[in-house]
Order: sequence, then structure tokens, then C-alpha cells
Amino acid sequence: MARLVLDEICKGWDFPVLDRLSLTVEEGEFFVIVGPSGIGKTTLLRCVAGLERLDAGRVFIGDRDATTIKPYRRGVAMTFESYALYPHLSVYENIASPLRARRLPKATIDQTVASVASLLKIDHLLDRRPHEVSGGQKQRTALGRTLVAKPDIFLLDEPISHLDAKIRHELRRQFHTLEELRRVATLYVTHDYSEALSLGDRIGVMGKGGLIQVGSPRDVFENPADLFAARVLGQPSINEFQAMIERDANGIHVSVADGAIRFPPAGPHASVLGRRQDMGISVGMRPQHLSVLPEGAEANRPTVTGSVDVYEALGATGVLIAKVGDQQMTVITPPEAHYQTGEPVRIALDRDHFLYFDRGDGRNLMVGPH
Amino acid sequence: MVGIPILVIVLIVIYPTIWMFYHAFHDTNMMSLFRQDWQPVGFQNFEAVLTSERFRNSLWHLAIYLTFGACLQVVLGTILALILYESVKTGWMRVVLLIIMVLPMMLPPSITGILWRFLLQASNGAVNHILLNVGILEGTERIDWFSVDLSLWSLVIADTWQWTALPLLIVFSGRVSLPPAVYEAAKVDGASGYQVMRRLTLPMLREIIAIAFILRFMDAYKFVDKVYVMTSGGPAQSSELPVYIAFQTGIREFQVGLAAGYAIIIFVGAALIITLFLQYLKRVMRNAGVVD
Repeated sequence: MARLVLDEICKGWDFPVLDRLSLTVEEGEFFVIVGPSGIGKTTLLRCVAGLERLDAGRVFIGDRDATTIKPYRRGVAMTFESYALYPHLSVYENIASPLRARRLPKATIDQTVASVASLLKIDHLLDRRPHEVSGGQKQRTALGRTLVAKPDIFLLDEPISHLDAKIRHELRRQFHTLEELRRVATLYVTHDYSEALSLGDRIGVMGKGGLIQVGSPRDVFENPADLFAARVLGQPSINEFQAMIERDANGIHVSVADGAIRFPPAGPHASVLGRRQDMGISVGMRPQHLSVLPEGAEANRPTVTGSVDVYEALGATGVLIAKVGDQQMTVITPPEAHYQTGEPVRIALDRDHFLYFDRGDGRNLMVGPH
Repeated sequence: MVGIPILVIVLIVIYPTIWMFYHAFHDTNMMSLFRQDWQPVGFQNFEAVLTSERFRNSLWHLAIYLTFGACLQVVLGTILALILYESVKTGWMRVVLLIIMVLPMMLPPSITGILWRFLLQASNGAVNHILLNVGILEGTERIDWFSVDLSLWSLVIADTWQWTALPLLIVFSGRVSLPPAVYEAAKVDGASGYQVMRRLTLPMLREIIAIAFILRFMDAYKFVDKVYVMTSGGPAQSSELPVYIAFQTGIREFQVGLAAGYAIIIFVGAALIITLFLQYLKRVMRNAGVVD
């Protein structure tokens, strides 16, 4: 049992992938790293596992400096995005392989594999080969192989991303309930924000070069450090508009696309934005903070009018893309409503939850020094 | 339009095959061919082949040749391929080494045979010279590579020199296409180098190695070119293989009936073995999910 400490690790090829990345994952913590594909999440895991040599920096596992230690001496276990099951070995042998490598007695191996297999509900598949089981079962086999190793650190690389939605949900629930994963430090990598929000004790948003923001899922979602972090979390993606801050007799206004969208910002935001009068900013509106008003309804919030461009009914919700001026605005709608293309809509702005970013570096204007 | 290829196939494959089957049951030889007069002899030709000591010896030679030729080539090729893969990581170095190792394969087999006939000459061949220079041979001692005891082995040496590169290429490309993630998983699991070889690489390459062996076997079974140019089956028929006898009997001695008997027996042997291989390949493909 140990904590994982990364101290200013660097890794790159012809370009830097990890640039002085520091992170501490406590014992028993489930830390999720979320970021777009190709940003270096897997590289980070491989550095921790010892499959890549660091260009600089140190990795501590427990109180040991593991920077130059061989992978299997680090006390880590890793699942791979491609599962990396041994194709010619049965599910049983796949799960048993870390134990075989340690030359444990057969009875111990049998017992450990059986208990892990029943935990993961694959005990009826032990004689099959990997190509004879489904994707979800492969994934659970790969997970089983890491569980029997009883490591100090779990490294899980997109373990459920390639599965179909139903199994993904089921396995996600399983991750919540697996005691083994909750006792040690786990580093879990995904590009799916919902996995991050659902599973992480803490999450880290990864961008170019390293972690852009680390915090509790709720905090990162509600107060993203910058536009990039705001984009990574949330589906459908956050609406971004280039806006101007204008002041007239009624106070300051946020104006998008020459006034097609124009509203006074919420009280707490106004004072910060007031200092940026006549300057360009980016405003971010999450689709769930926009709503379509029924015809004739009174609005106690600012509204904009537009027309329906695309409407997708998704069962539990609907996603409506409206044309407002020359801008597109994604809105989440309740399931009972239906819209036709071209239909005029009035959209209410829940401005208390809007996010404002610096147009230059994308920094969240409401976070940190103003 | 489809008719023309069919006609060609009938002319060059089907008609001669029927012709061969017909004459296998006749006493056809050069004279009777000339006179257009041959008599049916029933199974006498087959009987003659199966009871002849020459044929039985040649089967024994074939067994030696397959074991120490084809098998050795596959084993050597596999070892070389894995060494090449594990110890040479630079891309261009691999290519250069592969090309060097594949060079012998690019020579025509008959030329290779002539080459090795020179190299292995008893009195002034290069091989004996080297053995003399490193002190294995002394004074006027010479190894007679084309003696009764050694001529078959000379063939094995020349053939191995030429064909080891084929299994090497096949196994090397098989090794390259194995998923790297599996090896990384093994690294994290803590498998030793021996365990990785024994439990990962060799089992995953098993089918590939088998296919390399099948290819070498098929080639070795009809092996005749080097026998012809290096030893002519001799001395005293000590390096004859079944196909070479059939060739000798039919084309040299014009005992067409007897040669047809040889050919059919060799054909039946090949058909049996190929059937076994096909069974195996089918199983491989089923395991790989290629066919049901």
C-alpha cells in the first residue's frame, strides 16, 4: 500500500508530451485523468509503469524512488487500452500470468484466480480463449490480471472506452464497488468526461504538456481553469462565443455577434467583467444552462431568439442546435418537447452559471487573481 | 473465351496425367513407344517400385533429408529471426542484415548446386581448405564430401545454406506483427526472458513456424535440382531421392511405364501428407477466426 508521487516528470520525442508534470495520488485514492486523444495520457501511465524512460523528473512509489526501477519491481499493475491479453492462453491463464511469473504454488494461483474471476463474474469463462469472449469480458479478464497482482498502484488505460454503452455503464458501476481498487492508489485514464466525473475522487484535466487543472470532479466541472478544461468536460460540448463587454446607461452587457446575443451578466460576474469594458472575452455556456421557453411564457431571465437548425431527440433528453444571428447555440431540451427545423425558438439564458474566459490565454476570468 | 484456358489446362495437365495413369499399367519403354506397341501388365510396375531396394533406400534418404534439411532450416531460421529481432533494433540495420541473409535464396538452385560442388571438392575445394587452415585437417588429409557416406549430407549443407532464409523471413515477419502491448503486459507482470520466449513468443508463432515448415517440406519433397547437378544421386545411388529416381527412370532410361509407377506412388504420398497439412491449416484458420 503506497502513495504515488510524480515530481516534475518530463517525457517527449521530437516535441514535449509531459512537461514538468507533478502529481500526488494518495493511497486509496481513485484519480482520473481526462483529456482528448493523443494528448499524452497513455504516455503518463507508461512512465509510471516504467515502460518509458523519463527524460527528467522522479517517480516515487511509497517512499521508494522508482524512477529507474524495472516495471515489475515497481509494484504496479496496468491494463492496456488494447487489453493486451495473451491470445493463445485461456482466460484462466491470462489472469494467472502475474502469479506464474512469481512462481507461486499452483493451489495459491487456483484460489486467487477463482476469487478474482467470481468477483468480476467471469468464472464461467475460464477455459475460453480471449477471442472466444466478448469485449466486456475481455476487459474484465484484463482487469482480473491486474487485480491478482495485488499491486500498490493500479494503472488503468481507457479500460472501458471501447465497449458499447450498456456494458460501459455496467463496468463503471463495477469500478465503484471494487474494494481492491478503492484500497490502493489508482490512476485511471480516459477521454470520456462522464467516466471522470463518475469515478474520480479527484480528476486531472490533461492538456498539452501536462495537467491543466486538478480538483474534485464537481469543482473542475463548475469552475474550469480555462477554456480547454471547459471543453474537455461536458457532452454536448460547451457553447463558446467571442463576446464584447459594453457599458450603457443600464450597466454593463455581454454582447455576442454584434448584439444578436446580448445580456447583462449575473451580479458576481459583473464586477470582474466591468474591468474588461470594451475588451474581447470568450463566454462559455453549457447546454444545460440554456433552455427553450414555451410560447408566451414569461421569462425572469434574459432571452435570445433564434430558429431551430438541428434537433435530435435522444430519449431522456433532446439536443437542439439553434441559429441565433450567425451563431450556433446548443441547448438541452426536456424529452417531451419536439421541434421542427426552422421553427422560431426563444432561449432563456441561465447566466448565473456562465463562464468567462480571457480571449488570449483562455484563462477563466472568475478563478484566481483578477 | 473461358474455353481457351480450359483447353490449355486440358492439354498440359489433364491429358498428360491421364496418359501417365494409362502407361503406369503398361510395359511402355523406349522401344515400345517407338513401335507404338505396349502390353498391359497390371500392377507389375507398382510392385517393381515398392519391392525395389533402390526405392526403399531413397525413402530413407528422403527421411534424412527432411529431418536434417527442412527441419534444420526451420529451426535455424526461427532462431536467427528471433535473434535478429531481439538484438538488432535499428531499422536500416535490420534491412541490411535481412538482405544479406536472403541473398542465397535469390540464386537459382542449380547454380547454388554447382557452386557447392566446387566449394566441397575434395582436393582443392574451399571448404577443405578452410578446415585445413584452422587445423581440423592435417597434411594430406581430405574430406571426400561426395563419398557414399557424405554425399547426401553435402546436399543437406548446400540446401540449408540456400533455404534457411525462407523460414527466417516468415518467422521474422510473424514476430514483427505480434502485438507489442502483450509484451509490455508481460514486462509489467514480471515475466522473465525465458518465460516470455517459452510462454509468449513461441506459442504465438506456432502457426507461422508450422507454415514455414509446410512450405519447406513441399519444396523438399520435390527436391531434384541440386541432386542432379551435385551428385547425380551417387555415388552408388547413395544420395538418390524418390523424385530423382522417377526422373532418371523416365527421362533418362525411357522406362515410361515404370517411371509412371514411381510418379503415382510419389503423388499418393504427397497427397496424403498434404491432406494432413490442410487439416492443420484449417484448424489454424478456425482458431484465428478466418473460416468457420
